[in-house]
Amino acid sequence: MSVKRIDLNLCIGCKECYTVCPMDVFRFDSVAKKSVIAYPENCQSCGQCYLNCPGRSITIVNEMTGYSITSYRATTTARNAKSETTK
Amino acid sequence: MKKNESNSDPSKTGEISRRDFIKGAAALGAVAAVGSILPLSAEEQTAPYAVDTNSSATVPVPPTPGSTVNQIELAIPAVTDVPKTTKYECDVLVLGCGFAGLNAAVAAKKAGKSVILVDKGRPGYSGLAPFASSHRWFDPEMGDSVDAFRQYEMIGGEYICNLSWYDIWIKDSKAAYQRLMNWGILTQFDKASIAGAYVEKKDYVGYREKFDQYDRRKKFIKVLTDNKIDYVENTMITDVIQQDGTVIGGMGFDVRTGTVMTFVAKAVVMCMGGGSYKPSGFPTSTDTFDAEYIGYNLGLPIIGKEFDDFHMTVSYAAGNTFLNDTWTYLENIWLCGGDAVPGKAKEIATVKEKAMLLDRLNKAVNGLPNNDGTEMEVLAKADVSRRGGSLSKNPLDPRKGKNNDDMPKGDTYGAAIGMCAHLTSGIFCGIDDLVGYTGVPGLYVAGDGSNGSLVSGAAYPCGVGFTSNFCSIQGWRAGEAAAEYASSAKLVLPSLSKISSITKDILAPTVLKTGFDANWARDELQAIMSPYWIHIAKTESTLQGALAQVQYMRDNVVPKLMAPSSHDLRLCHEVRHKVLSAEMKLRASLARKESRGYHYRTDYPYRDDKNFLCYISVKKDKSGYMGTALVPIKDEWKGNTAEAYASRYGCRFPGETEAMGLSVTKE
Repeated sequence: MSVKRIDLNLCIGCKECYTVCPMDVFRFDSVAKKSVIAYPENCQSCGQCYLNCPGRSITIVNEMTGYSITSYRATTTARNAKSETTK
Repeated sequence: MKKNESNSDPSKTGEISRRDFIKGAAALGAVAAVGSILPLSAEEQTAPYAVDTNSSATVPVPPTPGSTVNQIELAIPAVTDVPKTTKYECDVLVLGCGFAGLNAAVAAKKAGKSVILVDKGRPGYSGLAPFASSHRWFDPEMGDSVDAFRQYEMIGGEYICNLSWYDIWIKDSKAAYQRLMNWGILTQFDKASIAGAYVEKKDYVGYREKFDQYDRRKKFIKVLTDNKIDYVENTMITDVIQQDGTVIGGMGFDVRTGTVMTFVAKAVVMCMGGGSYKPSGFPTSTDTFDAEYIGYNLGLPIIGKEFDDFHMTVSYAAGNTFLNDTWTYLENIWLCGGDAVPGKAKEIATVKEKAMLLDRLNKAVNGLPNNDGTEMEVLAKADVSRRGGSLSKNPLDPRKGKNNDDMPKGDTYGAAIGMCAHLTSGIFCGIDDLVGYTGVPGLYVAGDGSNGSLVSGAAYPCGVGFTSNFCSIQGWRAGEAAAEYASSAKLVLPSLSKISSITKDILAPTVLKTGFDANWARDELQAIMSPYWIHIAKTESTLQGALAQVQYMRDNVVPKLMAPSSHDLRLCHEVRHKVLSAEMKLRASLARKESRGYHYRTDYPYRDDKNFLCYISVKKDKSGYMGTALVPIKDEWKGNTAEAYASRYGCRFPGETEAMGLSVTKE
């Protein structure tokens, strides 16, 4: 998961995403007056950029794209969890 | 406050790239020849970055055929926003703007001092403070019992809770709550499901915009500006300036440009949070043990590292925070407290510890299924005490507990590996300290992960909402203490050699032409530290194995971390902090040869009151070796040590009953 561009045309150049991102993911092109998703690999998916984007130019991708490294994952898959909840 | 304007401003001239590259590279060698106290201009201190070609974002994404939607991301622009001011002077320098930093800054300002606050990101949006979802205080007017709460804390913290700090919480917490309420940070408003059709439409942005005036993130900067406190954003502080034994400021760099920043102050308050290696579910990535790293290298003891964070997460996928917590993030901070009942301390503490720790520990070790987020939790239907609300039955009691909109349930232990339980770890200021004075003249610490006060003992029994309140208290007290110190201290300008040496250290990763990528190194560290046998069910051999790997990274990877951009410069410093922190965590875990609270050793699966009713400190000795020591605590904090073991401790670690020869029937 990370921030993703919906439509650069919708970026109004307000710098909100660039301003609020705590992970330094954004840069700002002061000539084009558009934000740049410069370092999506460091997005922590907190969504603060998306929530503060008045132009609706960006979003947070919410598909499960891979497993994280965690202390334990055991049977943690959507399939297994679903069967758990139906017990 | 006096600001020193830099001599040149590349953003005005547009002269960047190659000229900066040469000047930036030459700056390190040129320091000694310059006569002024703060010799480097902004231009000279700027790391030589123009266009970073390493990021995946520079690869254009082709638009969908036939679509007018523009999904082509622009290339990363050249560095232009070089800070106009790179040198600051003030009475009190506050580092970090979470609840601790905000309170420290205001307290010092109200004491009549000039204050500058520096944050790695934007105040209100960085660190863990943006994600606080509850706030608790002690309210005698609602019938809260001092004895009940103290018992709860002492037993729940497994008899090593710092009750002196807890008494401060009992005394000061309501004032802290009222302060935050006055600042607008705790304003209550309709949750999303009540305010409109936001939940069913998943209209997160619309809900935020409707209640924009209540957005608590915005209040942080409002509080700073209302109090005429200057703040510097996007600046990572990597070191304090210590001269003749006294701290006289801090240095770091602007993360957007790599520009070295210097802050000279009479006193410094570090409120920089804790850290984790790479969170897998919670948005804690900005906290990277910055205060701990600085403190350790000053020779200060770091404490509480063995008590790992217990936070759950539905972390099936890396960084799925947004799905889990967005309504919680958007809705108001819920008011909590009043849930400790006289005579039930042991029962409550035991139930909590079983749910928060032992249940997950068993699942981790035995590969049992765990919630992964497909099951929703409906807090509105939970009983008040489950939500952290008051049992006073007083209709005027505002502490209703967490009542946010539905969120996924999950219990994967280790959402933020490397993070310690709230308010356990950090710089140890001594057993009698109640202001956050580090013992180094001019240096104070406050807040979660920075001040190792261990107010939550071994297991964070304080209840939801404690951390945001307690950090506010610690920040305020440290701010007042720093202001008082500053009243009799002089502003000392750092020597040329000191500035030069710290500048070299800051820019070292920019000088390398070949080296390691910081993101890769972070992932390797994560892989070393994340198995449950390293930080949940620990043993001598697994800890030693991990320690050998971390030491290898310390000696062979950290010195070769390379920063091809200012963004990477931040990552390089953060990884350096994380590797040091990992070594401390492993050494502290090795030193505590028992199990207690959130520290479980399979080779010592029992509490050892005789030897370990104490703290473990980690400290650099004069030869540079990382040593550990046992730190005695006050007898009053230990409870009734004559009480029978089986009754004193309400829950059992795996293997404890057998090891201690306890009767199973008594369980």
